[in-house]
Amino acid sequence: MLGAKTVTTRKVRIFLLVLVGCGCLIGAAFAFAAETFTATTYFNPDKLGSPTNLSARAVFSSDGTVPTPVNHVLAYGPAGLKIDVAGTGTCNKAKLEAEGPAACPADSRIGFGGGIGLEEIAKEIIEEPFTLDFFLAPKENGRLVILVYVQARSPVAIELVVVVKETHGPKPYGIGVELEIPPIPTLPGASYASVENSYFTVGSQHVAYYHLIHGKQQLVHVKGLIVPKACPKGGFPFKVIITYLDNTTSTDAYTAPCPPK
Amino acid sequence: MTFGPSRQAGRRRQAAVHARRTAAAVLATSLAVALSTASATGYSISLNPTPAEPPQATTATIAVSLSPDRAGARAALTLTIRYTGGEFGVPSAVRRSVLRFPAGMSLDIPSLRSCSAVRLRARGVSGCPARSQIGTGHALVETRAGSQIVTEDVALRAFLGPPQNLEPTFEILAQGYTPLEERVVFTGSVLTDSAPYGEQLDMSIPPVPTLPMEPDASIVTFSLTVGTSARRGTHGQNAVLVPSTCPFGGFPVAVEFTYADGSDGSARATIPCPR
Repeated sequence: MLGAKTVTTRKVRIFLLVLVGCGCLIGAAFAFAAETFTATTYFNPDKLGSPTNLSARAVFSSDGTVPTPVNHVLAYGPAGLKIDVAGTGTCNKAKLEAEGPAACPADSRIGFGGGIGLEEIAKEIIEEPFTLDFFLAPKENGRLVILVYVQARSPVAIELVVVVKETHGPKPYGIGVELEIPPIPTLPGASYASVENSYFTVGSQHVAYYHLIHGKQQLVHVKGLIVPKACPKGGFPFKVIITYLDNTTSTDAYTAPCPPK
Repeated sequence: MTFGPSRQAGRRRQAAVHARRTAAAVLATSLAVALSTASATGYSISLNPTPAEPPQATTATIAVSLSPDRAGARAALTLTIRYTGGEFGVPSAVRRSVLRFPAGMSLDIPSLRSCSAVRLRARGVSGCPARSQIGTGHALVETRAGSQIVTEDVALRAFLGPPQNLEPTFEILAQGYTPLEERVVFTGSVLTDSAPYGEQLDMSIPPVPTLPMEPDASIVTFSLTVGTSARRGTHGQNAVLVPSTCPFGGFPVAVEFTYADGSDGSARATIPCPR
């Protein structure tokens, strides 16, 4: 029912690299045995010290199997990458799970995405579109919490909230994220849900909300994700450590080129 | 700008589906067990073998009114366009529109001042002479992002542009503030039309980007009032001159659209003859 281990872990690993992002446009192609994976991530605008959107797209080839799902992800970005959430709201996880994205304040939304999931049912691999909605949640112990609402509609309707928590890595890394992804059963006799391709954009370039300040409605611009003010020699470092459902792990690190001057 | 949960409930049911179908019987017999698993782990899973509804064609309706509604009057003309249909219930974005106005109807501009599109884009309303503004209005735009349909209210202002080939031009400044602060300028040129129309306004509408990797914004409603009603005692202001005679059946107005998905559409309306 589950796909070949080698194929699965590498697919998921690279997908999560995309989740972490990098400092500028990157195109990377990885070939593993019979499979090929391409990831593209970029800041828009790609400018040192600037509020930005981080976008990523991951495309996987398929060898006819469903990858082993990821259970835990720990990812670090470069030192100096900042998140300024002043002017945003927050969403409650329980409300999001119970009522869906409409229950969350508009100013808690920080990103969108989607992709194609895979599940194997009755020995047939089924492709299923899914969407991603990113919301800020109340901080825990002074650290950011992000809720990712995952929704698929047909042939199996799935609604899931993944919690992403802020963490910090050792030098040369800075802010990072940590998340746990529960195994997502689809139907008895079917594989856990997995991913064929995905994309998302988080950030806040041009995002603004009206807030009541000193009795007056004022437009507050959200800075959100901010590109580091300086780029280390060699580029921005990223690192991802992944634990799979079978408790094996893999680590990957790479460097993103500095923005053009 | 507001997110649009009020329209989402129905539209969420139209979510994208391109999955290959599998045996419904296998799924149905497994459903009960799957649901019990889901409830124990904090997420929801259910069988939904219904395929997504195919995208509907984008269609438009127009309504036009004059104030005051009197033959020979100096009036304000209000044009309202509503778009419906489209994929996930979001209309396809308009790329070009041709508005046809009735013969004999004209815009009187006592103090001719113009503003260039470049200046309008760069500096907004404050960058243009006050007397170059000929109309105001509002629009509602939408885009589908993630599982949601996001909406934004947009303020519209129409300006007289510099003539091109001795023909007048118009510009419409569209300014949204929240959740995305964005400014777009549409430009159009006025050309002579054939009966029963007098002139046509041919407008090109550029893509309105939202977020990277998400669709461009689509107009859902567009309402623009051009000219100032003489009732308001604004002598010397721009005004639409209502013809002194009205054709049988009323003044005809028509509009043709080209959408971003490559389709075309049109709509017609009639302004009833003044009493």
